[in-house]
Amino acid sequence: MGCCEKATSFATESLCPHCLDRIPATRERCGEDVYLVKSCPEHGEFHTIIWRGKPEFHGWQRSPNMVRTSESQTIAEHGCPFDCGICPTHRKNACTAVLEVTSRCNLRCPVCFADSGSDVTSDPPLTEIAEWYRRVLEAYGPDIIIQLSGGEPTVRDDLPAIIGMGRSLGFSFIQVNTNGLRLAMEEDYASVLRQAGAASVFFQFDGTEDVIYRKLRGRACYAEKRRAIERCVENGIGVVLVPTIVPGVNSHNIGAIIKLALELSPGVRGVHFQPVGYFGRGPDAPDNRSRLTLPDIMRAIEQQTDGLMRAEDFTPPGWENTLCSFHGTFIPKTDGGLQALTGHGGGCCDSREGSDAHAVSFTARQWSAPPASKGSDCCCTASSDPAAGIETFDGFLEQVKSRLLSVSCMAFQDVWNLDLERVRDCCIHVVAPDGRMIPFCLYNVTSASGQRLYRGHLQELPGF
Amino acid sequence: MNFSQEAAAWSCTSCGGELSLVKVGFTYMKGNFEVDLPACAECGLVLVPESLALGKMAEAERILEDK
Repeated sequence: MGCCEKATSFATESLCPHCLDRIPATRERCGEDVYLVKSCPEHGEFHTIIWRGKPEFHGWQRSPNMVRTSESQTIAEHGCPFDCGICPTHRKNACTAVLEVTSRCNLRCPVCFADSGSDVTSDPPLTEIAEWYRRVLEAYGPDIIIQLSGGEPTVRDDLPAIIGMGRSLGFSFIQVNTNGLRLAMEEDYASVLRQAGAASVFFQFDGTEDVIYRKLRGRACYAEKRRAIERCVENGIGVVLVPTIVPGVNSHNIGAIIKLALELSPGVRGVHFQPVGYFGRGPDAPDNRSRLTLPDIMRAIEQQTDGLMRAEDFTPPGWENTLCSFHGTFIPKTDGGLQALTGHGGGCCDSREGSDAHAVSFTARQWSAPPASKGSDCCCTASSDPAAGIETFDGFLEQVKSRLLSVSCMAFQDVWNLDLERVRDCCIHVVAPDGRMIPFCLYNVTSASGQRLYRGHLQELPGF
Repeated sequence: MNFSQEAAAWSCTSCGGELSLVKVGFTYMKGNFEVDLPACAECGLVLVPESLALGKMAEAERILEDK
């Protein structure tokens, strides 16, 4: 690692992967790559790749346009990341509140963020979930994405009641994070969830080959995935495909996933890639070759779609930290190509202004089922004629309302690449059992020996 | 008031010429499309009618100017 350019480094902080003490860290360039470099007096130095290749790291910028306005639930006493949450030093409001309604699951996945691999514990009662909803409402109001997660939330038979409770409290957009197995198994289940008020599924979808599911999920389930998607689309639930990308397992399948999403669009509303993170026990740092960074995914999209989508079509986020994600929006053209509506590096697209409500409404609209086409007899199936074209304003508007496909990627942090500058900008907050809002990555981070920072280590807040 | 009526109701603030409907190319967030708009026959200055600015253009902005 002698080639790193400390002169161009950026000082931040992280955690020691072994003792979880807060330690200084720097982002250091090494050619086109960037590493998070940190040193613990007791456990040594760690170098973790955080950016690999083009687009260039220093050009990946966007003016932040979201500021923190919400009140704090805790005080800043021990310093970030030990005061969640959220504390006064956090810089962003939440865009998404994650409610883990069960720790049970009907799969056993080695790559899972959640707690489903541990002993079965009892599900939180509805009264406790109601209290979580009220906490979110007090902290952020109703204009926020509610994601019901787990475990696998559909193993709870009262999931429709949980969805209905959220809707009755005023939350307009409720999304279910699911592996889809129950949706495939029970013919009417998608209809039940839709009628309860679910707008969208955040759908675990790792690829188009069963060999991928055998490796990542323990068994073949591609046919079930397709059946579940079909049922969601038929019942007016927006589908967001969420592949966890693991190098050498499904990193070759990125283009196939996008091509399938285009084929199933507009019922499938987007693809949200999640490069694998490393949680749980593992005494040695994961090899940097086992990591995929944001530019790796952008370039893979371009290569594997034969340039249908290009790396330059993607833009940094305007809400969370720019190192946490990218996204792009596309509409089909009459010649079979795609029109990208986003991009980076062009200047004009990096200066857009927005607001929290605007960003949430965009995501909620994009991840919900598309509006029914004019003259359609059915409210559930979309949409406009793809041949209508985008050459006129009316055609363009019609297409973006009904046929926009979003492609995005979220780079979650584990203990090896955790960067507290990024954490303080986090907008995805897990509602912990005691009602605190914990940034998603912190909630799931574990030391090399499997010790957890937050999950399972919370005391009740006063007054809860 | 439709765009033809708008064209008849205005004169060019730049050169005083009359307006007539012409195809105007728009580029918006990498999307390109054409709209028939009032424009000056002399100097080409284009009028974006208030109804378009506050209607479809604002709607497109709401939809697309995202997070």
